Amino acid sequence: MNRLNVVFLLAFVGILVWITMFHSSDFVERVQRGAMSFFAPFISSSAKLSTVAEGVEEDELTPSEMKAKLAALERERDGLRLEVLQLDEVIDENNELRKALQYKERVPLELLAARVVSRKPSNWYNTIVISKGADDGVEPDSPVIVSMGEEAALVGKVSEVRGKHTAVVLLLTDEMCQVSAKLENTQEEGIVTGQRGTLRERPNLRLRYLSKEVLAKTGQRVISSGAGELFPPNLILGEVASVKVGVLDAEATLKTVVDFDKLKDVFVLILDQEKEKKGGEAPASGGEGKEDRISDQDGNGDPVALPKPATAGGGGAPRR
Amino acid sequence: MIYFFFITLAIIVSFFVQEFIPFFAWAFYSRLLLVHTVYYCAAVSVPFPVMLFLALLTGFIWDARYFVPVQVIQEVGVGQGGQLELPFGFTIFIFGLLGSLIQGVRPLFRRGRWELPVFLIGFCVSLGLLLEYMVISFQRGGLEVPPEFWWKILMTGLFTTLISPFLLLWFSRLADRVGYKIQMSGITRKYTYDGNAF
Repeated sequence: MNRLNVVFLLAFVGILVWITMFHSSDFVERVQRGAMSFFAPFISSSAKLSTVAEGVEEDELTPSEMKAKLAALERERDGLRLEVLQLDEVIDENNELRKALQYKERVPLELLAARVVSRKPSNWYNTIVISKGADDGVEPDSPVIVSMGEEAALVGKVSEVRGKHTAVVLLLTDEMCQVSAKLENTQEEGIVTGQRGTLRERPNLRLRYLSKEVLAKTGQRVISSGAGELFPPNLILGEVASVKVGVLDAEATLKTVVDFDKLKDVFVLILDQEKEKKGGEAPASGGEGKEDRISDQDGNGDPVALPKPATAGGGGAPRR
Repeated sequence: MIYFFFITLAIIVSFFVQEFIPFFAWAFYSRLLLVHTVYYCAAVSVPFPVMLFLALLTGFIWDARYFVPVQVIQEVGVGQGGQLELPFGFTIFIFGLLGSLIQGVRPLFRRGRWELPVFLIGFCVSLGLLLEYMVISFQRGGLEVPPEFWWKILMTGLFTTLISPFLLLWFSRLADRVGYKIQMSGITRKYTYDGNAF
């Protein structure tokens, strides 16, 4: 190796050591935010293109099928109108009762609708990129959920806020996303994690550290317990597929209830009032801000109620 | 110099194109890593210092775009440790290391014998992924290697191997066009591909 090559090699090693060891986390954050804003037009174009491609793949409906679908939707609409009328009465009654009891509101739980703009960009981490970021009030570790009818299922947590309107979400299927969980209608608690290197469609989850005497049925739902304080309780995580009892404890394999490959819209939970304030100050220039927020007064105790999804199995329908 | 400029430009453009390349669920979520392929193809044709510069540039932009700062978990529910599983800049190290390996077959590329370079480019992409996974496994403790993992590594290498001849062809045409001559450093003495290399 000639002398020039040695000099270049030493310079390369020096820069590499500096980048990997002596940089600050602020440096990485700034670099990544800069890169994300630079690539943003390409990421959004790619998302649009894949949406178009998915639309092409979907089967077209025949006129008779469309008529049947329209009739079903009209029936559903009429039913919902009646439901809304009934709910208005309930809300009025609820407000009166609150006043009578001098009810103090708990910390509001706010839902921020976000669109999935990129799926699995990383080689080994199960992540998605969503269209909400720092200016929308999203912070690292914010839980991300999706509506499942009238309930909510956990999608993952924000791993990194990478721009004004971009954040990376670590999915529940990743081994590093760990959630305190319990078997529904029991006191049996454990930790739900993904599996390392699982590259199958709809990968299974693991519910670890169950007691040896656990009585779990196949299909029984597993929900977040809220014990870790990062995720609110009662979010659906999966359904029990099988249980293996070990020497010290038991472990259950769970089927996911969310199809992570087909996620289109998700909700980010903004938990603190501080975060809520920050989000409320989001500029309207992005076209995405307050109108995407859905106040949810459930606090920490009750299941998170969400608007009904537009499509089954995939993402929920955000209010836009 | 013009050749190096175009090579650098090709790498930057490959980052934009990479955004549009989907993963294939049927191939265990493998996808064509175009940036890696372009980089390794470039590493075959440039001198050692330029290869190091390209490794620095490509690895830095890759980590800036795709690096996920996942920290090593110390205890569930209590908090996270400050140490990252994969350090920022790890891709630069991989590109530098494997680029040096690829440098060894430059004379073959110059002579128009692309069999070994093409195979090596696919191999390097797979090896890079393997190294990443091993470091993650080391940080998490316990080596879990499901069968799909090997398929993903294999399929990614295969996609790369399929596309790299076209890139090598383009690079060699470009070298001819701008009058760039690839130097004969690397495997020169032991090379017996055409029987006349001694």
